Amino acid sequence: MKRDSRLTIILIIIVGFLTVCPVIMLVFGSFSEGLSAFGKFTLEKYIAAYTDPELPKIISNTVIFVLGAALVATILALFLAYLNNRTDIPGKFLFKVISITPMMIPHILFSVSWVLLLNPSNGILNLILKQFFGLENSPFNIYSLWGMILVEGLLDMPIAYLIIAPAMASFDVNLEESSRVCGAGIGQTLAKITLPVLRPAILAAFILCIVRCMASFAVPSVIGMPGRIYVLATHIYQTISVGFAVDYGKAAAIGMSVLVISITLIFLYRYLTSESEKYVTISSRGYHPTIIKLKKAKIPLFFILGLLLFILIALPVLVLIYTSLVPYSMVPSAKAFSMMSLRHWNAVIKDPISILSLKNSLFLGIFGATVGVILSLFVAYTIVRIRTKMSGILESLSFLSFSFPGIVIGIGFMWFFVRTPIYATIWTLLIGYIATYLPYGIRPLSSAFVQIHKHLEESSKVCGAGPLTTMRRIIIPLLVPGIVSGWILMATMFLRELSLSVVLSRPGSEVLAVQILRFSGDGLWGRLSALGIIMIVISTTLVALVSFIGAKLQPAIK
Amino acid sequence: MEIRIKEVSKYYYSEGKTIKALDKVSLTIPSNQIFTLLGPSGCGKTTLLRCIVGLETPDSGEIIIGDEIVWSGKDGINIPTEKRGLAMVFQTYAIWPHMNVYNNVAYPLQIQKIPKEEIRKKVEKTLRFVKLEGFEKRPATNISGGQQQRVALARALVAEPKVILFDEPLSNLDAKLREETRKELRSFLSKLQITAVYVTHDQIEALALSDIIAVMHSGHIVEIGSPREIYFNANHQFVADFIGRANLFKAVVKAQEHDKTIVSSDIGTFVCQKREFPVESKVILCIRPEFIYLKKDRITEEETTGEQNVISGQIDNLIFIGEAYEGEVRIGKEHLMVKLDPETSLKKGDTVNLVVSSNHCLLVSA
Repeated sequence: MKRDSRLTIILIIIVGFLTVCPVIMLVFGSFSEGLSAFGKFTLEKYIAAYTDPELPKIISNTVIFVLGAALVATILALFLAYLNNRTDIPGKFLFKVISITPMMIPHILFSVSWVLLLNPSNGILNLILKQFFGLENSPFNIYSLWGMILVEGLLDMPIAYLIIAPAMASFDVNLEESSRVCGAGIGQTLAKITLPVLRPAILAAFILCIVRCMASFAVPSVIGMPGRIYVLATHIYQTISVGFAVDYGKAAAIGMSVLVISITLIFLYRYLTSESEKYVTISSRGYHPTIIKLKKAKIPLFFILGLLLFILIALPVLVLIYTSLVPYSMVPSAKAFSMMSLRHWNAVIKDPISILSLKNSLFLGIFGATVGVILSLFVAYTIVRIRTKMSGILESLSFLSFSFPGIVIGIGFMWFFVRTPIYATIWTLLIGYIATYLPYGIRPLSSAFVQIHKHLEESSKVCGAGPLTTMRRIIIPLLVPGIVSGWILMATMFLRELSLSVVLSRPGSEVLAVQILRFSGDGLWGRLSALGIIMIVISTTLVALVSFIGAKLQPAIK
Repeated sequence: MEIRIKEVSKYYYSEGKTIKALDKVSLTIPSNQIFTLLGPSGCGKTTLLRCIVGLETPDSGEIIIGDEIVWSGKDGINIPTEKRGLAMVFQTYAIWPHMNVYNNVAYPLQIQKIPKEEIRKKVEKTLRFVKLEGFEKRPATNISGGQQQRVALARALVAEPKVILFDEPLSNLDAKLREETRKELRSFLSKLQITAVYVTHDQIEALALSDIIAVMHSGHIVEIGSPREIYFNANHQFVADFIGRANLFKAVVKAQEHDKTIVSSDIGTFVCQKREFPVESKVILCIRPEFIYLKKDRITEEETTGEQNVISGQIDNLIFIGEAYEGEVRIGKEHLMVKLDPETSLKKGDTVNLVVSSNHCLLVSA
């Protein structure tokens, strides 16, 4: 008992530092005159931030972008979840692919690939269409709110899917059946029973998407900024990026409202997910939902599914590979293929900053995820097994960072790190990453802990095994799937991290996503694509390797 | 090995309220007997079992297993679970899914660092004992519920413990399998020199398995006795009502004879088993449906004499349940549950005579 509460206190201190410190520093910072004049109280920054004549436009952009993208993501996810769980659509394994691919393809590369396809001056798809139809102007312009909404919507769809699909799968089919017995048709049952019962899950997915869109930086920076469409995230970035009038106080003042909205929404999300768990009755053994036969609609729907998969995974990768090989943007043709070379690849390999960013990101991915998973392991254990009031505090604390918009929390950390000797080193990134992405490690581990029935541990104790033996022989082996998926989630997120890194990365601590953003700003699409492909290959290899090791470590659990 | 429990209390706090899961429970569990803790859910039986094994810490009292004090509030003794040398079969079986049957069973021996060859022999012998030979290599999750149950039993027996604890081990099995496993368990346990503490809420299970039953109710032990004593001669209304089915009526003691007590109730005057209640005191009359005989004909002389109670009533309801008819007989304003032969010719609405032997008229304190 004593040991448990000591562990809880230590964890509260660590997690509390990681999550509360940047928030407090952000608050202080927003009331200070500047990074060097910390502590002198002033309201100047708030006045400057909120009387900015451009702000109303930025806010309206943000609202349209965030709601639009969240809506696109949720509707797509709902559609896919229904198809997978409730219809006889072929190729069900594809849904699994859709739900895990966003881990392999970083958001910034996805955004870039759409820019390469649909930018108005030399987007490949635009060029093709112009050539084909003999058009004067490009038919599409990705540098628009619509472009941002669609790309962000596609990016966030898997998140919504991961919330909606399990709720749909565990839905008690008797609820629908009794509606059918009462005389309602399939459509009526869907509208009057299925969707209302799933409402908490759908709303939760929608809210989570809103939070993610608000924190999103890749799409607004790669697609929005060239079109001069600013949202809050890019507005904040502009305020602190070199070349503009750098003002961390003003950035903190704007960031405060983003953070407050995010935290509010996340607690609403938490309430809704606990509600939806109340609603959905977990199915017992031998449960089979009624499958709706699609008949004639099967082929077209499968075609849509295939198209989505192509757009989400194949297209971005193909575009990047193609762009990395051709000298400049051109329509794929015999000429283009004859001009292909590895010069962009060579340029990247010889670029010391690219290599440094590669090394840094690899270190952060592997080492950071390892540290993150170990911390998550202890936190998850405390939350699930110890279950005191104190561990409740720990849970809320660790959940807080779920709402952190990277760029805002980065500014909070900036105010802190600037006062420490680790400022401008890779360690700031490590700490920031773990603080921001801790919930992604805790979640798979705590659900793994929940699945291990308490009796499995207790019976080991009764058999005479001490706590350490029980840990080694029972708990760890059973946790392997949770550890593996937590590690993969964290490692891939760290490898591609952008929004926190644009604030904290300094010369010497460059990371991959920041380097790609730089290439994109300079219009070096060829090098960008080469580096991007390297990035995708690395994260895919890591995922494959760790899954393989995980499967080896875990013999035959059914 | 004998287990002594002295004034053990355990409280839970939830939403500002204190719940007494165990309220100064004292109990001695004799060695080499099958001892059952029986009671409705929430009565504290599982808490008591978990306190014995050390998975739960009492708030006060003392627990002694054999000669060793394993827990004492006042002396601050708390031997951890793994040092108590007990064995337990869990309700969920707690079969480790990442190990095969062999490793699950061998685990307690592996912990003791016994030589491998000896482990192999002991595991083999135990698996043979629970009729699972040949299952060694099977993944433990790939066998039926009944087989998992026997793996859990084998794991508990393999280290030859002096005490084995069972926490509702049959409640996850379906009715048929539960009956079979119950018989098997009884025969396994009677072959061994072992103290078994068995927790269940199922009275039939308790009656069929146990040497001694302790009936628990809201953190207290209400009554301890052999299955027959508990069934026929309960001293408490709760026990009479909880074990089997019982008709309960308020009654007043009218006279005490040398081996009978006579009471009067709303359904008439009854000659009952002797109980030392003062005349005119209020008691509860308890009659089990299976000991009420229904007769349509006149009652013969020999039946009325002696120690039979006879009352007449009207059949209000008859339900066929296969092995019997369950009926309700109205006597005045009261109803009496009865059990009839499945081949009976009696029908709803018939006026009948009810015959109950005085031995089966039980008096418990009100």
